[in-house]
Amino acid sequence: MSETFGVKVEDIFGTMPDRFRPEAAKGIDASYGYRITGRGSWRLTVRNGTMTIERTDALEGCVAITTADPDTFVGVNIGKVDGMAALTTGKLRVEGDLMALGATTKMFKKYVTPKKEPSIGEYILDMFGTLEKRFKPEAAAGLDMTIAYDIGGSEGGKWTVTIREGTCTVTEGLAAEPTLTIMVNAKDWVDLMLGRVEAMTLLSTGRARFEGDLSLAMKLGEIFAPYRPSAGAQPEEQELVVLKKIISVNQRFATGPVMGKFLNGLKEKKIFANKCPRCKRLQIPPREICAECRVRVEEFVEVGPKGNVRMLEYTYYASPDPLTGETRETPYGTAYILLDGCKGQEVFAHFIRPDQLDRIQLGWNERKGTIVRPVWAEERTGSVHDIKYFEIDE
Amino acid sequence: MKPGYDTTDCFVVHGKLALPYTYFAGRVGSTFLTTIRDKKKIMGVRCRACAKVYVPPRQVCDVCLEDIRDNWVGVETTGTIVNYTVVRYSDKHLPKQPPYVLALIRLEGADTPLAHIVQGIDIDKVTIGTRVRAVFAKETTHTILDIDHFEPAA
Repeated sequence: MSETFGVKVEDIFGTMPDRFRPEAAKGIDASYGYRITGRGSWRLTVRNGTMTIERTDALEGCVAITTADPDTFVGVNIGKVDGMAALTTGKLRVEGDLMALGATTKMFKKYVTPKKEPSIGEYILDMFGTLEKRFKPEAAAGLDMTIAYDIGGSEGGKWTVTIREGTCTVTEGLAAEPTLTIMVNAKDWVDLMLGRVEAMTLLSTGRARFEGDLSLAMKLGEIFAPYRPSAGAQPEEQELVVLKKIISVNQRFATGPVMGKFLNGLKEKKIFANKCPRCKRLQIPPREICAECRVRVEEFVEVGPKGNVRMLEYTYYASPDPLTGETRETPYGTAYILLDGCKGQEVFAHFIRPDQLDRIQLGWNERKGTIVRPVWAEERTGSVHDIKYFEIDE
Repeated sequence: MKPGYDTTDCFVVHGKLALPYTYFAGRVGSTFLTTIRDKKKIMGVRCRACAKVYVPPRQVCDVCLEDIRDNWVGVETTGTIVNYTVVRYSDKHLPKQPPYVLALIRLEGADTPLAHIVQGIDIDKVTIGTRVRAVFAKETTHTILDIDHFEPAA
């Protein structure tokens, strides 16, 4: 009987009674059919918070019948294959009520491949058993050393590793005069090898001790490839809880008279700047106070609508729009446009028509950049999006 | 605002910010939540050095810096209110209809308190020292609300 990811189709169905969560099946009274190519058909019946699964070809009256090949079916059940992707590619087909079938995903706990975690002793044997294979001769060139491992505890043991002329040998027992001695408890050693604890933690708390040439101890990580538990030795896969949420925040932005004037102007296809009474600088969008002179600004000036591009930046990672939370398609270009009537730094930032991004030339000093014009939205509501974007004026 | 200031252009923009986000409970947090969901039991972790039992659990003892993530112990589902507050404002993200009691509850067998909701008692009657018992949710969501609330215990 063949397996996928080490799991048989029969395992998925066979463990359904154990994985069943009656509370999620409350009020459901339905049968579901499964046709697994080359393996047969199963019928799942859920009623009054109980379930039965039987291998049968009689799938009449099922609210949904799922058809899939064994690999896809197992993959979706153990979370290695995305269910939606399998549906869209047709590897998994559903006849009947897809919504009803969706309820079954909540009804069962995730299938977990049964694997026994090896004992500390088994880990230790496996670690020293694979040490010669994990030895990297090129990293040990010129090294001549003897390392004694004194692994304490009932499941520990004593080993000596000899590295000489690019070879590595592991023998049981402690060498008489090692270059380096490592003393540690078996459990701590296993945790260290599995990356569950840092060497520095063990050393600083006195749970591990090194004696001899400490500089060699620092090299061990380079001389040996990291320990990976062999196939049978992997810890049991744990169900990890991930919550996906959409936080929704209602907000109200009061424009005030100045920003209000600017936004209302856009409705009429007018772009307003305001002019500082002291330095005569234009601000666009307009602000209540001149940012340089700190005096109230009351005079509005209509600028544009055309202008030339002074700078263009590409955004590859868009943050959510603060008003809607939607993320724009990337990359998009933000241009700093010197609208007609503005000078110097009095640029206005807006989007450039996406398909024209690579044709935009930037201006500097007296030289003008590409001349652009606004493309107005059909329905204007008093928002910066009343200008869809700027496009090349041609 | 200056008297006589022209407010004809003032208006209010309404926005709804929707922020998708993913919260990962972590390995320790996942075990804690799935145990509540599947076994209706509350587990904590005990520090091997100082014997302090953390509920909710954590990876490392904050006093000894011991790695305690695998040293699980069961605690009782009854405990004592060590502090509390009353939530009186209403907002759509809140788990219950206000007013309700949000309490820090030290479960028997634990040394640290767990924040949760207390119901089934007049808000005025809640005191520090009130004994409460966990009521597990019928519909589980693999969140801390798989304990639906705490109720007074004899």
